Amino acid sequence: MTSGNTRTAAAVHASAHKLFSLRRTAAIATNTFRDLVRQKVFYFMLVFGLIIIGVSLALASFSFQGQLQTVMDVCLGAMSVFTMLLAVLATAMMLPKDMEDRTLYTILAKPVSRFEYLVGKLAGVTMILVVATLLMTAAFFVVLHFWQGREIENLQLTEPAERAAAAISKIKAGTFTPTLLGGIGVILLRSIVCAALTLMLSCFATSWLFTVIVSLMVILAGHLVPIARSVWQGPLGAADAPFHIAILMRLITVFVPDMQLFNIVDDIAVGISVDAGVFLHIAGLGAGYVLVYLLVGWLFFAWREL
Amino acid sequence: MSTPAITIENLTKEFTNPSVFSRGKVTAVENLSLTVEPGQVYGLLGPNGSGKSTTMKIVLGLVVPTSGRTCIFGRDSRDVESREAVGFLPENPYFYKFLTGSETLSFYGRLCGLGGKMLRDRSRELLALVGLETAADRRVGGYSKGMLQRIGLAQALVQDPRLLVLDEPTAGVDPAGSHEIRDLILRLKQRGITVLLCSHLLSQVQEICDRIGIMNHGQLVREGALDDLISIENQTEFVLENASPALLAELRERASAAGARVVCEQKPQQNLERYFLEVTAEQGGEKK
Amino acid sequence: MKGRILGILVLLVWGIAKSSFEARLEQRMENTRLGGFKLTASLRQQAGQAGFIAALGGLRATVADLLWISADSAWRKVQYGRMKLIFDTCTAMQPRRVLFWDISAWHMAWNGAAHIANHEPDPVARAAKMREFFLLGKDFLERGIESNPGSWELHDRLGMLYHDKLKDSENASKSYEEASKRPGALEYTRRFAAYYLAEVPGREREAYARLMALFHESEHEWLPTLFRHIQELEAKLDIPDAERIWHAVVKLANTPGNESSAYPGLVDLIKTGSREPAVVEAARALEQKMDIPAARRVKLPPHK
Repeated sequence: MTSGNTRTAAAVHASAHKLFSLRRTAAIATNTFRDLVRQKVFYFMLVFGLIIIGVSLALASFSFQGQLQTVMDVCLGAMSVFTMLLAVLATAMMLPKDMEDRTLYTILAKPVSRFEYLVGKLAGVTMILVVATLLMTAAFFVVLHFWQGREIENLQLTEPAERAAAAISKIKAGTFTPTLLGGIGVILLRSIVCAALTLMLSCFATSWLFTVIVSLMVILAGHLVPIARSVWQGPLGAADAPFHIAILMRLITVFVPDMQLFNIVDDIAVGISVDAGVFLHIAGLGAGYVLVYLLVGWLFFAWREL
Repeated sequence: MSTPAITIENLTKEFTNPSVFSRGKVTAVENLSLTVEPGQVYGLLGPNGSGKSTTMKIVLGLVVPTSGRTCIFGRDSRDVESREAVGFLPENPYFYKFLTGSETLSFYGRLCGLGGKMLRDRSRELLALVGLETAADRRVGGYSKGMLQRIGLAQALVQDPRLLVLDEPTAGVDPAGSHEIRDLILRLKQRGITVLLCSHLLSQVQEICDRIGIMNHGQLVREGALDDLISIENQTEFVLENASPALLAELRERASAAGARVVCEQKPQQNLERYFLEVTAEQGGEKK
Repeated sequence: MKGRILGILVLLVWGIAKSSFEARLEQRMENTRLGGFKLTASLRQQAGQAGFIAALGGLRATVADLLWISADSAWRKVQYGRMKLIFDTCTAMQPRRVLFWDISAWHMAWNGAAHIANHEPDPVARAAKMREFFLLGKDFLERGIESNPGSWELHDRLGMLYHDKLKDSENASKSYEEASKRPGALEYTRRFAAYYLAEVPGREREAYARLMALFHESEHEWLPTLFRHIQELEAKLDIPDAERIWHAVVKLANTPGNESSAYPGLVDLIKTGSREPAVVEAARALEQKMDIPAARRVKLPPHK
């Protein structure tokens, strides 16, 4: 302990404590990211790679139409599921593990607020999800590029010129589109929403298994929200449904996020172009979920006895 | 008078019984008040479940009190900034096992607002202080119990705090490690760092603490300077070297003549711990 | 406790706000998805019942694809019943995938029916069974159109099915007409709508007007089929000579500078049965003028 260090450390003490410090949050985020990377979460990505290569090889042996579409569907579907699982599993373990190992005590015994801790954790998982999505997108685009070439070749061989030309230009214009990138962005956003949801649940849950199960159930129920909504306000009419069912459906639409809205890749793969306005709305909705889940998670966590 | 390092005023903590069937309350700490002055090494003792851990957690802001309040250097424990001046080593700490020792220190340093060269120097210095220089680049997952305890201590010291809170710092550590940790605490004390120590190892507490408090059933039952509490006022101990039997006989005689009673006379025994350390050092036992 | 109550309150307030936002966003996305066309009420009901499909979430398309591939092996084994089941499930899972509807219909109305044609010895039963397959194909296309009102391809295939299989020119024309109104439709759909109308008894006048509109629109439309249909209708409807199209083409041929566009028209007129001496004369004149070698000159078809 040299005098120089004592002076500088004292200077740190003397500086006014900030309510929210990016430096502290970034320290937790990068630490979370590094911890997850060293836990080899990216081996997960290898499985993804194997799936898309396997599907590609399998498709090559079928002479069925729409192989390009199938490649897109499978890759986007696998990306949705992988990022979602990665988000839920990685997030669910974080808080219980820190508590069990008492690492949380050492962190919160430093001048770190519980809000900073939560934001840092979510940011760390988000970094993992961003990197995972980028890796998967790169692999996906390589495979897609290959199949685009193949499909064009097939069309030139089998279709009459006018139809082939129309179909080829349609494929060229319809494969690597901004909409596809937007769709991948929505997959990423969806996974961040899932991570925030899981983090919120783990703020009051007592075991990670509970967190995982409840998170997955909420996400699953999230895909049924449009049906719940149609029961009390759609053309099916609330009048048909018994009162208690209508109330239950209303509760679902209020407390469960509508995951189908984040499920636009099913449409994008079919070549429906989605306008920027819709993307903006989805982005806003996703950001809203993340902020609200973070806030509620903090409310649960702030009063929690450790 | 300087600001006390720790002030605890009328502290009460009740936990709700988690069982759904009996929603009774459990009182962990009841109307506790105590003060730790700067520079003291304070030992908080008590059987399991006596409320000392809860008290410590409240001081650190990890648990919210039901009533009363605690302060660290005059700042309320519920304020995050109160923790700028405190370092904490929990019982049996684990750290992110995929980080190396030096990464662990730099992580905790960044949490305290340190960075850059200053942080690098500081963590090198601390690793030297706790004797982990050679293990700095090994992952914490491979550390022994004693090493974990030492990196924990280094972590607690990273921002050069004025107060150190240690929960069973030598639990599960072998005698050599335990001895080193004790020496380290004594060195920190010399530098003027206040220490709050919770421990079951009474001999160790006796060796290093200036002041102790004994808790039982959530209440502070005894509190004071160690010497005042345990010295026997009407007795005196001599230890003589190379005393002849004649001298001893003379002393006995003089004592009884003066009206004093010899309570006990024996060969002082070497402390087992010191003996163990000497033997293992002779064998060239490697420090762990 | 305080934190939990507050947290649940926040979730409630957010939930009420977000649920109406989500309902509106869903509406908006549905409009984009269907390109401004409306879903029918019956289809909405079906979608509601298919809850288990919705629960597949992001994997819906993938599951549909894998199932789709399995239809290929059913086809190789000539299991048309199994194929129909697979197609029904695939289209239910991914109703917006036009290809699924298109290929399903094609397998039924073309391949399935062809299989019957080759394997059913009894002519009465053969006709009945083939018609059954045609109708299965038609059903796929019609359901596909319900889910994809904006798809020109499905209307196009339906037109083809009506014309080539069910021999229903009126509905074929109607389907091509619908196809031609959709974005991305190829040009021929508009022509076919008019051509097939010409085959519908009782609608000759209307068809004639449509075909003439095409004729006047551009020389690009001057195709053998157009000329054949128009000449047939001219005969049927007793159109005065001066208004018949050969007049217009000959007039064009006699206007200097238009030789290269008029000549193919004359050739098509002759090839599709025109016997007008003026047409033949004009063609010969142009052939001489344009130095067309004898071997490549238009030959007069034998008299019927």
